Amino acid sequence: MNAIEIKGLTKNFGAKQALKGLTMTVPQGAIYGFIGENGSGKSTTEKLICGLMPFDGGSIRLFGRSGDDADVRASIGVLIESPGCFPNLTVWNNMKLQAANLGIKNADAEIRKILKTVRMEGAAGNKYKNCSLGMKQRIGIAMALLGDPALLVLDEPINGLDADGMRIMREVLTELSRKGHTVVISSHILGELEKIATHYGIVRGGKMLCEMTAEELDAGCRTYTALRAAEQNRAKAILSCRYSRVEEDEAGYIRVYDAKTPEEVVVHLYENGITVNELRRAKIGLEEYYIDLMKEKGENH
Amino acid sequence: MNFEKSSFGGRLGRMLNVDFRRMFRSPLFWIMMGICFVAPVLILVMTTMMDGSVSVDPQTGVETVMEAFDNVWQAVESVSGSGMAMNMMAMCNINLLFFAAAVLVSLFVSEDFKSGYAKNLFTVRPKKADYVISKLLVGWISGALMLLAYFVGAMFGGVLSGLSFDAGVTMGEIVMCLVSKMLLMGVFVAIDTLASVIGKQKTWMSMVGSLAVGMLLFMMIPSVTPLDSTPMNAVLCLVAGIAAGGGLGAVSCAVLKKTSVV
Repeated sequence: MNAIEIKGLTKNFGAKQALKGLTMTVPQGAIYGFIGENGSGKSTTEKLICGLMPFDGGSIRLFGRSGDDADVRASIGVLIESPGCFPNLTVWNNMKLQAANLGIKNADAEIRKILKTVRMEGAAGNKYKNCSLGMKQRIGIAMALLGDPALLVLDEPINGLDADGMRIMREVLTELSRKGHTVVISSHILGELEKIATHYGIVRGGKMLCEMTAEELDAGCRTYTALRAAEQNRAKAILSCRYSRVEEDEAGYIRVYDAKTPEEVVVHLYENGITVNELRRAKIGLEEYYIDLMKEKGENH
Repeated sequence: MNFEKSSFGGRLGRMLNVDFRRMFRSPLFWIMMGICFVAPVLILVMTTMMDGSVSVDPQTGVETVMEAFDNVWQAVESVSGSGMAMNMMAMCNINLLFFAAAVLVSLFVSEDFKSGYAKNLFTVRPKKADYVISKLLVGWISGALMLLAYFVGAMFGGVLSGLSFDAGVTMGEIVMCLVSKMLLMGVFVAIDTLASVIGKQKTWMSMVGSLAVGMLLFMMIPSVTPLDSTPMNAVLCLVAGIAAGGGLGAVSCAVLKKTSVV
């Protein structure tokens, strides 16, 4: 069963059409990386999934039921924009309120357990307004985890988290997915997303460009040959004459995308009197795949 | 996948539990209650102390004589047919608390939206009626408690100032007057709640809306809840409160359904 099934979703803000018939399928148990540029419609889609605003057309089904079903909705955890805490209440009291809303029995034990999971047990007595940005993000995740939600919707949850926070987040989400819970997570930090996502959806201009599994992404990602040569600029010029896509990356490696083998590149440079100092074969990551896709689609438009 | 079934009663009960807990732990509520209690004490004691004192305008030489209340209950309400005159005594009484309730409800509801709590709430609680009913009941009861605090404060102030408790009406009628006002509070809270869900994060908009509509209805309060109220007045106010709560509550639900809550 799919956790989320969205068909032909449209949403207008005045004259601006934010979503133009968006379609999205999130299988149950997936960690769904929801990717797109700023203003592409990610947050709007997430808000519509959570019922925080009305939509103009299309349909949203959660676990095979209507998106308005009170019983299903009671099983959603959310972190969109901010954790939604009262600034003058302590972290503990904020969580108690949300636990009361959810009707959680043994709320104290569950809150203690969740705060321990996100390593925030020491901050339970702090007023929310006195917490740092990173702490607030962790609290937001803790709030979203209350009630053991079947579906977790997280909008930019990694923002403001330190390395430890990101690691905890990865552990928590992976564990949830292992238990069959579904996570929809949008983030601009694609390197982090790549480490946990099992499925991806790439949205642009209010439409879903493509949806794929992590395996499909891996298979679709091009491999390239990266090298450093004695005469870097001349090497790049020579390679550019033979191969259609040659780029120099931030680390100073020349990347050749359409060479069949690394040996072929080395031989070609050797024949032109250039020695290769370093050579490796690598695959582009999610970030580069995404940038390539955006460029490609941008050219097609 | 199996999801736990939740009944309307269960959902509303949880929502009320949270809202009452929030309201009764909020410093704002207790500050309001304190003001409601202290204000009539100060008014009665100070006006009694200054009774008969003469102030002279140095330019015109016109003398003004301060007049105190004749009895304690004037600080609460005037007797039907006598106090409808638009003098200070008739205006500056317990009825001002209907405006104080507007401030309380506006701040209480707008905090939900400002803090982002509404986002968490409406994700897991899609039935907007639960939210509106809960706010109406909490606002109504809080407003009623503020009226009660003022009433008790007036009696305390009366004792301190030594004013008469005889206004020519029975204690039963005075109690009915208070009960009627407490029930009428439902009408005002329904207006305040509607203005607040329209204004959402914009507290100023909620307050302006609540106070503007409240001002239109303010003049009718003395005639609907005079000091010599009868059970009929209480029934009328109850019906008005329920009708306003139902009608305006439905409009509030529609506003929440049709607009973004973030």
